[in-house]
Amino acid sequence: MIETIFFEEEIYEHPTTERIRRALPRAGWVPIDRYQELFNKRHQNFKLQKKNPALILAKKYDNFVLPVPSGFGMDSHKNFYFSHMYNCLYDCKYCFLQGMYSSANFVLFVNYEDFFRSISEKIKKYKGQSLTFFSGYDCDSLAFDKLSGFANQALNFFNGLSNVELELRTKSIAIGSLLQREPLSNCVAAFSLSPAQVAKSLDSKAPSINRRISAIKQLADAGWKIGLRFDPLIYTSDWKELYSALFADIMNGLDPERIHSISYGPLRFPKKMYKKAASLHPEHKLFAFPMEETNGVVSYGTKIETQMHDFLKSELNNYISENKIFQCTI
Amino acid sequence: MSEFTDVENNTELQFKFCWVTALRAEATPLIDAFNMKIVENKSLFPIYANEEKGHALVISGMGSIKSAAAATFLKNHLKINDHSAWINFGIAGFFKGPIGDIYQANKVVSKESGAAFFPGLRLSKLIPAAILFTVSKPENGYKEKVLYDMEAAGFCEMAPSFSCNELTYVIKIVSDTPSASSSLITKHLVRELIEKQLSKISDILAEIEILVEEEKKRLSIPNEVIEFEKRFKFTETNKYKFREIYRKWKVAFPSKRLDLSEFLNSQPKEIILRLEKEVLLNVEDWNAL
Ligand code: SF4
Repeated sequence: MIETIFFEEEIYEHPTTERIRRALPRAGWVPIDRYQELFNKRHQNFKLQKKNPALILAKKYDNFVLPVPSGFGMDSHKNFYFSHMYNCLYDCKYCFLQGMYSSANFVLFVNYEDFFRSISEKIKKYKGQSLTFFSGYDCDSLAFDKLSGFANQALNFFNGLSNVELELRTKSIAIGSLLQREPLSNCVAAFSLSPAQVAKSLDSKAPSINRRISAIKQLADAGWKIGLRFDPLIYTSDWKELYSALFADIMNGLDPERIHSISYGPLRFPKKMYKKAASLHPEHKLFAFPMEETNGVVSYGTKIETQMHDFLKSELNNYISENKIFQCTI
Repeated sequence: MSEFTDVENNTELQFKFCWVTALRAEATPLIDAFNMKIVENKSLFPIYANEEKGHALVISGMGSIKSAAAATFLKNHLKINDHSAWINFGIAGFFKGPIGDIYQANKVVSKESGAAFFPGLRLSKLIPAAILFTVSKPENGYKEKVLYDMEAAGFCEMAPSFSCNELTYVIKIVSDTPSASSSLITKHLVRELIEKQLSKISDILAEIEILVEEEKKRLSIPNEVIEFEKRFKFTETNKYKFREIYRKWKVAFPSKRLDLSEFLNSQPKEIILRLEKEVLLNVEDWNAL
């Protein structure tokens, strides 16, 4: 439970702030000027801060929507991402956020309306082209949704936009805002998944794989498009059996027609992030594997990556047509 | 100098809690409670410590700059390790009573520079939090709904660099309010107010100690590594490589020991290569979980 909320005084009256005030009546509220006063400062300790993170309510002023790095998107669409939040309720050992920020406090940008305005500008600029907007790049799209109410507003905004797709990427089972409405034909609920044993060991605080699969099936049954994201792929001695079993579990009772896309990507870190993450979890096996470093990127190396790629591609082909399967390369 | 003789040169000392107080009257109840002895009394900043219990304390005198300077002096004088908790402790004015209540400052503002600090993890299950203003002259107006002291901002400027912000704490006991003037504060009263909160302080320390131990474990360099680095001349680059591969090797083979006698005629590079080879051979059976 969140005990301390730092808020930029400027947004004290904002409806999102008001919503959170009502939801967390017992939290201590502390005024600040700007969120950078306490977020990602020197000498902060991500791992310790993660034990009791505070919520920071802030206003975002610029860079609402950014182009995704190449290798992230699905196909030839123009792809953008946006982050209404920095950091995440969950604590995955491989999460790049721990390498990116020294701070584990959650920053929630309450001015969603400015994100939507900026997305509208992009749509106008690229009129007639297919665009995809990814939410959940610096956070999980839904994990915080009960408090933030973001998904509902995003879905209201995207509803009916043609040629424009929204992907909500998540490990959360907080799918209420989706289930309570008619499915949007241009929204993909994309779930990150790993074999149950892997998730149990690495996806700390996130819902179990069983619960994620059950959320997928509920959404699919309600008519939502589903994305399956096997990213990062984790190497362990029996990885083939584990991933085969995972695919079978997911596909059991799931209508393949409801699957919008499947993507997978190897475990990779920029060198600096790897060093930082390893220093936070020096005793974890994830960071004890003899990784290879090429051009500043730390990975399992070409041999293992190719093995995993080949296996996943052929295994997933058993369930779904090839044109829906993509490899992420960042 | 006291009977506490070896502290200065003993690099193995593991102080868990480093206290910085402004006044002797604030320090005395802690010195007594944790059985600290004088270590340094010749300089501007007297230092007390109890190595066994893991406490060290410095008396800074009043003012922000002195607080920062005293903390630095303590850090250097006792070679405090980088997983210790730093606690600025003392009395403070508050806009409301009763006196004797204890607070954790979750935001510290220097009224002089305007700089703001956000020390520590919240200890909300144990004590309430309040904003604290560090002022340069005693505050008797209590105009804002905050705590007032004269040191914390200076302390917060410096202490996070000794370990980290999450191991930096500002804990204050209310000594004066609009209805209990600061002119009534006596040494005796300070002692009484602090002594009444000693059991709460113990609870707070128990909570902080968990974080200290976790950081200690994360940052510690295993004895085997220290032995090897003493025995062999590693360049800085090789030292880093050795520590990294040793870490991976130890995680892969937790029950194995790195035996110095097996490497007596080896070069540092050969040691690193040998460990790399063993880790690589293990890849086929790698269990990431
Ligand atoms: S769910 Fe995603 S954003 Fe959240 S901790 Fe895990 S990897 Fe990071």
